[in-house]
Amino acid sequence: MSEEPKIDDQSGVDKGLVAMFLRMSPEERLLANDNAFRTILELRDAYRQRKADERKPE
Amino acid sequence: MPTGSGKPTSASLSEVLEGLLKAKVDFILVGGLAAVIQGAPVTTMDVDIVHNQSPENIARLFAFLKSIEAVQRRLDDKLIEPKRRDLSGKGHVLLTTRIGPLDVLAVIEGGRSYENLLEHTVEIDFRGHTLRVLDLKTLIELKNASTDLKDKQRLSVLKETLRQLKEKYGRRGDKEDSESE
Repeated sequence: MSEEPKIDDQSGVDKGLVAMFLRMSPEERLLANDNAFRTILELRDAYRQRKADERKPE
Repeated sequence: MPTGSGKPTSASLSEVLEGLLKAKVDFILVGGLAAVIQGAPVTTMDVDIVHNQSPENIARLFAFLKSIEAVQRRLDDKLIEPKRRDLSGKGHVLLTTRIGPLDVLAVIEGGRSYENLLEHTVEIDFRGHTLRVLDLKTLIELKNASTDLKDKQRLSVLKETLRQLKEKYGRRGDKEDSESE
């Protein structure tokens, strides 16, 4: 039995990810974005810190 | 008076939204977060709003911005608070606040203001308040006309989200958000 492809060939959009988000409530979607937002900030800070450490003289 | 580096200390975009609603600011949520709320799996780093520019609303928005220590988002480290007149002009006011970045827009693509956009919004129940969000169809129309690379990249995701919504809920595709799921 063939299953509908999860990634659209032309656009590269992950249809399964869209379907997963649509199953969430608006509040859950906002919280997911908040979590992603905080994680990105944390990773950016870690990256900056690493770069700053690299520049410090030994 | 802002005292920090202008960097959010407890970033939460949903807290920015809730704060605006609690402060009784009339606004329409546009941009990436409007797409997120309607089901698009994208990540956004700020809240974009188009506000009603009545004097009463500007007073409420200005007081709210003070309460969250809003300062202009700048490349240098200067901490410049927004002025009330910035909110009544036609430009964009891009801010950093204690709880996350907030873009206050008088108009968006094609010079569309709060009044022009109202008929293209969906109302969503959010933490006991009614949140007005620019509908997905209009967001797609705006992104279609945009020359911004980020907008172009997101367009396919928004179109697929609208397609699945229509498949699930019919022509408008925005029914579910006004109901509990």
